[in-house]
Amino acid sequence: MNPGTGGAVATAGLELATPPVKPSSLFRRSLRLWRTRIGVALVLILVLLAIFGPYLAPHSPDAFIGAPNSSPGGKAVLGTDYLGQDVLSRFLYGGRSILFMAIIATGIGLIAGVAIGLIAAYSRNAVDDVLMRGMDVIMAFPQIMLALVAVTVIGAHAWVIVAAIALTTAPRVARVTRGTAQPVVERDFVAATEAMGVPRWRILTGELLPNILGPLMVESSLRLTYSIGVIAALAFLGLSPNPNSANWGTMINENEIALSVQPWGVVIPVIALAALTMGTGLMGDGIARTAAGIDRARGEE
Amino acid sequence: MTDVSRRQFFTGAAGVAVLGGLAAACGSSSSGSSPSTSASVAAGTPKAGGNFRLGVTGGGSKDILDGQNIITKPDQARLVTAFETLLEYDENYQLQETGLAQHVTQDNPKQYTIQLRQGIEFQNGKTLTADDVIYSLQRIGTKGNGLTGFAATATMDIKNVKKMDKYTVRLPLLSADSTIPDTLAGYTFGIVPVGYKAFPHAQVGTGAYKLKSFTPGQQSVHTRNPNYWRGGGQPWFDQVTIIDFNSATAQANALFGGQLDAITDLPASQVKVAQGHGQKALISKTGGWLPLCMAIDMPPFDDVKVRQAMRLIVDRPAMIEQVASGYGFVGNDLYAPFDAGYDHSLPQRHQDIDQAKSLLKAAGKEGLTVDLHTTNGAAGMVETATIFAQQAKAAGVTVNLHNDPNYYGSQYLKLAFSVDFWGTRNYLSQVQQGSLPNSPYNETHWPPKSGTGSNFGSLYSQALAATDSSKRIEITQEMQKLEYDIGGYIIPFFGDLIDGYASNVHGLEPSKGTLNLDSFGHGYRTIWFA
Amino acid sequence: MNWLRGGGIAGFIVRRLLLAVVVLFLVSVLVFASTQALGNPARAILGRNATPASLAALSAQLHLGQPFVTQYWDWLKGLLHGNLGISLAAQQPVTKVISARLVNSAALVVLSGAISIPLSIAIGSWAALRREKLFDTASSTLLLVLAALPEFVVAVVLVILLSTTVFHWLPAISPIPPGSRPWDHGKALILPTATLVIAVAPYVARVMRASMIEVLESDYVEMARLKGLPERTVLIRHALPNALGPVFQVIAINLAYLAGGIVVVEYVFNYTGIGSALQDAVINHDIPLVQALAMIIAAVYVVLNLLADVATILVTPRLRTRL
Repeated sequence: MNPGTGGAVATAGLELATPPVKPSSLFRRSLRLWRTRIGVALVLILVLLAIFGPYLAPHSPDAFIGAPNSSPGGKAVLGTDYLGQDVLSRFLYGGRSILFMAIIATGIGLIAGVAIGLIAAYSRNAVDDVLMRGMDVIMAFPQIMLALVAVTVIGAHAWVIVAAIALTTAPRVARVTRGTAQPVVERDFVAATEAMGVPRWRILTGELLPNILGPLMVESSLRLTYSIGVIAALAFLGLSPNPNSANWGTMINENEIALSVQPWGVVIPVIALAALTMGTGLMGDGIARTAAGIDRARGEE
Repeated sequence: MTDVSRRQFFTGAAGVAVLGGLAAACGSSSSGSSPSTSASVAAGTPKAGGNFRLGVTGGGSKDILDGQNIITKPDQARLVTAFETLLEYDENYQLQETGLAQHVTQDNPKQYTIQLRQGIEFQNGKTLTADDVIYSLQRIGTKGNGLTGFAATATMDIKNVKKMDKYTVRLPLLSADSTIPDTLAGYTFGIVPVGYKAFPHAQVGTGAYKLKSFTPGQQSVHTRNPNYWRGGGQPWFDQVTIIDFNSATAQANALFGGQLDAITDLPASQVKVAQGHGQKALISKTGGWLPLCMAIDMPPFDDVKVRQAMRLIVDRPAMIEQVASGYGFVGNDLYAPFDAGYDHSLPQRHQDIDQAKSLLKAAGKEGLTVDLHTTNGAAGMVETATIFAQQAKAAGVTVNLHNDPNYYGSQYLKLAFSVDFWGTRNYLSQVQQGSLPNSPYNETHWPPKSGTGSNFGSLYSQALAATDSSKRIEITQEMQKLEYDIGGYIIPFFGDLIDGYASNVHGLEPSKGTLNLDSFGHGYRTIWFA
Repeated sequence: MNWLRGGGIAGFIVRRLLLAVVVLFLVSVLVFASTQALGNPARAILGRNATPASLAALSAQLHLGQPFVTQYWDWLKGLLHGNLGISLAAQQPVTKVISARLVNSAALVVLSGAISIPLSIAIGSWAALRREKLFDTASSTLLLVLAALPEFVVAVVLVILLSTTVFHWLPAISPIPPGSRPWDHGKALILPTATLVIAVAPYVARVMRASMIEVLESDYVEMARLKGLPERTVLIRHALPNALGPVFQVIAINLAYLAGGIVVVEYVFNYTGIGSALQDAVINHDIPLVQALAMIIAAVYVVLNLLADVATILVTPRLRTRL
């Protein structure tokens, strides 16, 4: 898991070849690849689990149902955790907050990053320089480091974690957006629209945005992957919003020490997190491959 | 080496330290033998040699090395390598005259005499004399030095400590204080030579190991003091290495992987794992406690009914089971369980949700919501808060948890409801630390300023002044009754101190004291490699 | 900034250098301003043992409460002279506190880079050449799985597997004792390095593969082949240098990531580096130490990016002609 590199992976893939494609058809086309299908399936399963899990849980996530770290059996199908709470129930409750936080953080980062990237690409002057240098400054701080400082200074509140991740996501998105939007800006139709007196924000949202949606889809799935990773890593370092909230990252942190006695408290959330990040990763990879035309021959058969 | 009869005599008055011919205190002694003897008898003949590697969590770049001060837990582990106290506690938390002082006698309620053992040399060859003791006490008693023990010197007439002869010191008091021997046995009352300064200055004590190197937040190396005064082959190790750890898991892994010989605070859940790896767990029944602290002058806890309700919400046995995997004993909202005056006659509190609900109703606080602050300051603090929050639901009380890494920052002692940690102490010493208006760590803002309980402070002074132990116990029990009825502490249980060590380490005995690993192997001198 | 355009490779490098200086200046402003938000260090340092007496003593020692707006210039001046201030928690010069840790972390990063970069370039290139064959499919799937695993999971699994539970081959922790160097403890470096290699290699390999495929399909590789050059020469002389261009960027970002993100790995292995120092400094509100570490990590990022930009230009003939 490497939260610092996603932009680069996507950028490198995208700068090489970005034929303008309609996003809906791009996604449909990418679904012809097995990796995209597996990715989508994994993400769907985990999202459904996160949403409906709490309704399936046999116990309350913080009920004391047996001796701490007891093995599977009896009331606890997957055994109990470090406080004698049901591992299965905590697992079923534990996806929501992490997924929720990751999606919100990535969403904010995406919106901000796209806005900044588009403005920079469109303005092509000092504004571009200033904006992108500003992005460079933020990017100079690794995601986890910025989040660590923010959480310790302000406190381990959910909004702090979300804000820190959004802040570090934005510049990486902005870079990709600017990179892919710039060639589009150079094309004739933008100049033509401008000449017709269409307002700038209209051009930005109406003309530029649809043209770069494909690459953005790739970027958002990758960004989501890293957001999940950073939240989990923070929880592992003991920095999660609520000390006893059921959260996959926190579960790993809490139960890691008893791993050799009662592995389920760690193994299950690890598998879920890995499957989730793998799912978003596979999805992004599939879309990127389709977009980059790497698998065009196969995809257009 | 010690006057055994005198020591037994001394031991009889647990923590009340009646000295100087007060025959009333002479009682049965459950721990007649000296700690060093009992330790060596326990596990065969000690062997010399080896590098003892100890892993300790809780440190960082703020680690210090000072014979009379600590900030972090590794500081404790390092302090005892080189510094010793005038009096000592044994495994049962009974005061013993096994330290640097031959006798400490109370001449009258307001004066003590310290008689030093002769022929003890500091690590640099200088002989220990009365001047060093005077310097040591005055160093702690100087406010500007900011040492941990300063508050405990409040009753000492620190400027007028007087040298009677080369080995005798007279300690006058400003007001009567029978806890002076307890104070002198505290590990932050280490005796340092005249002119001593904290690291990075040279570290010279009377202890078993000399400092070789120290890098805060990383590790320290201590080498054997060949000239150690106790003799008899002690200390056994050639070298002691103390390593800082950030992560308890890394620390446990290092023990299991054989990179360490001992670690502090093995998580209760790891006891079986350690045994599975061929290592041992040292389980010490200590008087350590993790209280939930209610500030009695802040809403909603300014209403005594709310405090009483909160105390009835706790399912104490379940909490021991969950927080400590069963390693501990039930508490009764009173501290100092090993004190001779601990009031065992007060009825044990049990969970009583109905009663709690009706108390809350009477207080007009049904469906109460409170914020509970906690931190990873000591093992179990976050868990205690977590489980209390869960148990409180039954009484309709919503507890919002705040796990704050900067808990001991600006908000500490100003919170209405928080979790804290304490080690073993005797009753009056503990009161002095945490339950008086001028205590340095008064989390509950005890005692009440008016009404019932406002006489707590004067009771404390009376107890300090009482030279008769039964009289003193009588007064302290009156104090305990007040805290039991209307105090701000919820003390669910006393947790065992669990440390891990490799199977080839010998000489460690369970101890009731504050410090880990049998008071860190009595300054690493009573433990050895087989 | 048009006056800066043009000038060929030299001009490009000068431009990049100036840009890097501007970014570093902005970073320093940001670091200084934001770290002032950290709370009272005296409290944070003394923690549970803070008594009114000790607090007053330490606060006096730390000279707290001076105005900080003017301090920025003093700080910057010190920074430029290599004077990073005094660590509040350790009461020692920051340089003394972190110099050994800096060497340790750098050694870990360099070692991980030296292993992961050639390894991932080889895997990526080979996968590109064997596109859609068994090696490609197998390696890209495996890399995706490894890339998805959080570092702490990799580290924990390695420890269980190789040091504590299954086998006892390697040390579970890797503290570097003061006074010694990381390379004196070769065995202790294996697990942290392996964790970082697993964290970084998949990304570089994936980009290398994509880049290599792109280049292999390009006209000039086709041209080289048509000219009848041996395949070996085509690959090594023509394809590889061009494919490496975008990879340099990724390598730079990955190494920079390692410089900051080693926090987790250093925590798991109790490694004595700047990652654990940062965690410690933040908890203690040790402002000078946080500032110094943030500046160092940011500078590493800026410098590596600069190097990557220059390397990309130098290695990619297509781009060179564009200047």
